[in-house]
Amino acid sequence: MLKIDHLKKGYEGNEILKGISLDVNKGDVISIIGPSGSGKTTLLRNITTLERADGGHIQFAGVDKDFQKLSSQDIQTIRRNVGFVFQNYNLFNNKTALQNITEGLIVARKVKKSEAEKIALKALERVGLSDRQNHYPSQLSGGQQQRVGIARAVALNPQVIFFDEPTSALDPELVGEVLKVMRDLAESGTTMVVVTHQMNFARHVSNKVIFMADGYIVEQGSPEEVFAHPSETRTKEFLTDILANV
Amino acid sequence: MSLNTDFMGKVAQTAIQGVPVTLQIVLVALLISLPIGCLFALIRIYRIKGLEQLVKLYVSFVRGTPIIAQILIVYSAFPSLLNMFIGKVAFSINPIYYAYIVFTLNSIATLTEVFRSALQTVDKGQMEAGLMVGMQPRQTFWRIIFPQALISALPNITNAALYLIKNSSLAFIMSVKDITAIAKTEAAFNYNFLEAYLVVWVYYLIICYSAEVIFYLLERYFSKFRRSTKKTTFFNWKPLSIRQPDLSADADLAKGGRDEHAQNRPFKKRL
Repeated sequence: MLKIDHLKKGYEGNEILKGISLDVNKGDVISIIGPSGSGKTTLLRNITTLERADGGHIQFAGVDKDFQKLSSQDIQTIRRNVGFVFQNYNLFNNKTALQNITEGLIVARKVKKSEAEKIALKALERVGLSDRQNHYPSQLSGGQQQRVGIARAVALNPQVIFFDEPTSALDPELVGEVLKVMRDLAESGTTMVVVTHQMNFARHVSNKVIFMADGYIVEQGSPEEVFAHPSETRTKEFLTDILANV
Repeated sequence: MSLNTDFMGKVAQTAIQGVPVTLQIVLVALLISLPIGCLFALIRIYRIKGLEQLVKLYVSFVRGTPIIAQILIVYSAFPSLLNMFIGKVAFSINPIYYAYIVFTLNSIATLTEVFRSALQTVDKGQMEAGLMVGMQPRQTFWRIIFPQALISALPNITNAALYLIKNSSLAFIMSVKDITAIAKTEAAFNYNFLEAYLVVWVYYLIICYSAEVIFYLLERYFSKFRRSTKKTTFFNWKPLSIRQPDLSADADLAKGGRDEHAQNRPFKKRL
């Protein structure tokens, strides 16, 4: 469904992504793990065209082109078929929880207002926040804001939802509520690509784990393969380090 | 020394004819310079080639010269310039138009900087979020970024407007018959300078205070999404009413903290 080939990205001569290839099938829940600075976030931002990749090919939603040759029409197509959940939520501060969700539906998808509100309410219900529909982001806790962020992505019914470290900015006691929502989503068959440091989520919820380091995909496979029997030393080191700190 | 109150009353009556003139200058200058200032700020933020340098130059030119020098230059240069194109009629143009020009040019420079700083306070994640729900950059700007920037800008816009009101008193140099000019003329006829100036003083105070109230109400209206705005009257003396906001997630701000705050209870009780 989504196929990325040899994606490359650098900043001022410093190569961050050195040729990443990635296949996402419908219903996949892919966790991307790895040390910080390995390019995980950059990868998501390049696939979703928030940043322009220097090289590589994308095949998604009818677009089949090199990244450099994407027209603004292609970019629009890609953006309309993905959802994105940000590390720091990025809810629209001047809109209520409900409006945060209806905004994209009404303005970008041209859905009728009443219809959009119905969809938005359903999405809010799904993340357990229907009682907060008229709250502004500043009146919500971090966990609640992130759940609205997820509802905003879900309501657009995209082909894939990308999660960029969705729990990294949260207080430890709020991480659980967000992970639960994500787990529910995964179980309902939503296609998800998740950059995360939550090893439990990667291990128990996803069906595929990608370990990235220094701009490469070092290892990928089922959670069982990557966590229990990692074949690369780099992976072993990382897992030992991270599990020692848990 | 005693004040000639009869004379003050008389000046107050004649000078009031200057109020609409002052307000006119202020409103025209503000209404024209607000959109242009916003546009210039965007040119600077998005670094539009060529134009950016021009805007920079313009802003430092205006900010680097005293407004009185600008007034004198416009007032002496424009009539002669226009004379070359439209002939002698140029000298009979109502001087208020020159006032419009000077104060508009001046406010544009101030407001450019006001909007520039305000737009930069909005996190760039807001734009990215807009793009990721499928909105165009332009749609995201007008629906998400601009409303937020406007609120950050309002206190500084208020400031700029107040300066504009006060600076407009310099229009008397261009023989515009505003409050100051009328009072000065009256004063000169009767040699009652202090009385006339006190009247001027009071008029500007009233106008500025009204402007403050209007902008305060605007700010309150536009910032309903920010929790800190309190529903109080403007006769609430801040130092006695500041309190730590309740940051717990479940605090229902529409009711709880805010009303209590609004009642502005005496300082002692709270400690």
